[in-house]
Amino acid sequence: MKRLKFTKNLCIGCGLCAQMCSANKEEKVWPKRARIFIETSYDDGKLVYHDHYCTLCGICVKSCPEEAITLNGYLQVDPEKCTGCGVCAEKCPKKVIRIREDLAIMCDTCEGDPTCVKVCPQHALRFE
Amino acid sequence: MTMLGYQNKVLRLQMTEGRSSTEPLRMDFAEKYIGQKGLAIRYLYEELPPGVDALGPENKLLFTTGPFTGTGVPCSGKLSVAAKSPATGTINDCSIGGHAANTIKYAGYDMIIVEGQAEKPSIVIIEDEKVTFEDAGELWGMGAHEAEKRLQDRFGREYVFLVIGPAGENMVPMSCINSDYYRQAGRGGIGAVMGSKKVKAIGIKGTGGLSVADIKALKDKVIKYQQEDVHQDDNNFVFDAGTTAFLEACQDGGILPKRNFSDATDEKWTEYNGDVLLSKLAGKRGCGSCGLGCGNFIQWEDAIVEGPEYESIAVAGPNADVSNPYDILKFNQVADDMGLDTISAGDVLIWAMEMTEKGIHDFGIRFGEADKMREYLKLMAHKEGVGADLAMGVRAASDKYGGQEFAMHVKGLEYPQYEPRGSWGMAMAYATSDRGACHMRAYAPNEEVFAASIPPYTAEGKGQMVYSLAEFNAVKFSVCICDFWATVTYDIMADLLTTVTGKEWAPDDMGEVGRRVINIARAFNQREGFDRKDDTVPPRIVKEALASGPASGQMIPREAFDDMLNQYYDVMGWDENGRMPEDLIKSLL
Repeated sequence: MKRLKFTKNLCIGCGLCAQMCSANKEEKVWPKRARIFIETSYDDGKLVYHDHYCTLCGICVKSCPEEAITLNGYLQVDPEKCTGCGVCAEKCPKKVIRIREDLAIMCDTCEGDPTCVKVCPQHALRFE
Repeated sequence: MTMLGYQNKVLRLQMTEGRSSTEPLRMDFAEKYIGQKGLAIRYLYEELPPGVDALGPENKLLFTTGPFTGTGVPCSGKLSVAAKSPATGTINDCSIGGHAANTIKYAGYDMIIVEGQAEKPSIVIIEDEKVTFEDAGELWGMGAHEAEKRLQDRFGREYVFLVIGPAGENMVPMSCINSDYYRQAGRGGIGAVMGSKKVKAIGIKGTGGLSVADIKALKDKVIKYQQEDVHQDDNNFVFDAGTTAFLEACQDGGILPKRNFSDATDEKWTEYNGDVLLSKLAGKRGCGSCGLGCGNFIQWEDAIVEGPEYESIAVAGPNADVSNPYDILKFNQVADDMGLDTISAGDVLIWAMEMTEKGIHDFGIRFGEADKMREYLKLMAHKEGVGADLAMGVRAASDKYGGQEFAMHVKGLEYPQYEPRGSWGMAMAYATSDRGACHMRAYAPNEEVFAASIPPYTAEGKGQMVYSLAEFNAVKFSVCICDFWATVTYDIMADLLTTVTGKEWAPDDMGEVGRRVINIARAFNQREGFDRKDDTVPPRIVKEALASGPASGQMIPREAFDDMLNQYYDVMGWDENGRMPEDLIKSLL
């Protein structure tokens, strides 16, 4: 199964991944509503990386009390079953799941063809 | 029709009363001037009556985005910062990288206008629609880096900050505004305008989204242009070396200034060139939306900078007769922290060195004295001792002490680090730029020296050449795309602008916008009394020949300079005094 791989020292913190993720999923450019959050910042004279992206670890699938999440190559949330309880978001080790309007919002790797990888200018994000 | 890609909202910060208000963006202005540079100048033309004190409450400080800001359009992460300049009295639009531009847009604004003057030193915190005014407290007086660190610790890294150093607080007319620690809106004393309003810092957090006309096409085009156009050799050098690459090119072309523009090559250039500086690379960081990532984060002992840019290296290196890389980087860092423009601060120091060595006036600093340069930067930022006179710039200092023959400036803005005797068009670019000597308005060395497609040591054709370069940059900085996407074309800009705004833009429209932007800037300056008498060249350039390098023996004869100026005015449709006819001004409004 292909997964997102992130190589820190190639990332220049441009934010295009989240911008184009939201463009693809939200009908707006809206990085705070993306399904990936990769940023860099300076702190105490050091360059710091903040990388929140889905590794398809499957913990959300196992922890969902409603069995609303499935993983078949990519994650899918059944909106009929999801109650927005937030257990998946809480358990997500990469802190990349958000709950909006009683629904878990998560990365589906654009159904196996991730936009973020296509736009990443320095190939810090790969799908392999 | 309504253009998308804008938030259609302007935030006004009225510092005198400590309150804010919002209003719709003037879309009639946006249709003619698009965004950023052009839009900001159009607003200032409208809102600043002629003759206002640049450091008084009547001046306005504009942070302006454009339709591409926040959309992911490649290399669109820069922010225009504009006001009337306290250094020159002209219009002054600067540009700052980092992440402030995108954040302002996501907070819901196209533009932030800072007006009036606070009673006490203040900070302004903007979280989407919520705006808070606070006392600056202990931040006032602090270096820009320490102040930003304190703000970041208190408010969190979701905020970006625009911060001034002590130089801005003390209204030094060569002070800058910092953001993301290591990025600056540098020139023309833009930091002093912020300081005059007693604003130490503006913090912005933006959590909103942005609508464009065709989101699917935008996504496809961003990916396409990123892959097919941005990442080619003509642009990629920016990622590999940043502007340090220009050191070798300027040395080889004979336009690397040495000892206050006395010569134009430096035999020691390999001691501080890009390879040497980048050997201490600690990381890479680009601006928002930019895949080129020009920011080289360098740590050399305790000297920490991002860049370092050619301009800072050249002025603190060969032009000061310094070759130790640590000294060059440390100069850059201290200037940033004090909130001083490295170009102007460096230029005034090398002028003082020449004054001292020639025995005209003893400023207590000589060529090669890197330790003193750092010490003097702090004195200048605080207007203390010898720094008080130097902080006013080479024009004011040479008016007082002499040495005007080698005071390198136009309209009171100090010379950038491209020696014009080896690139004659650059003398014209500096003379006709809308804010005094600036290398970003028309970049002649590319044509005349690096690509060598146009002969450098002649006046012939230079009016048209400089105009074409200026037109292109005026559009580029209005839409806004960074200088470093060098291969971008009017076709690409018009295509992306149509996709984002939903209004049809043709490539020919782009050139018209560029011309309009140059003209509105000139109209602003003309209203302030500027004309041909101010489009000058320093005496050194027309009187002294270069001694070394490919341009050895070159100077620009006065007649040749006048000829180039006449050509440029002809191309622009201005009269022989460089003045615009009234009907031309009317057509801009």
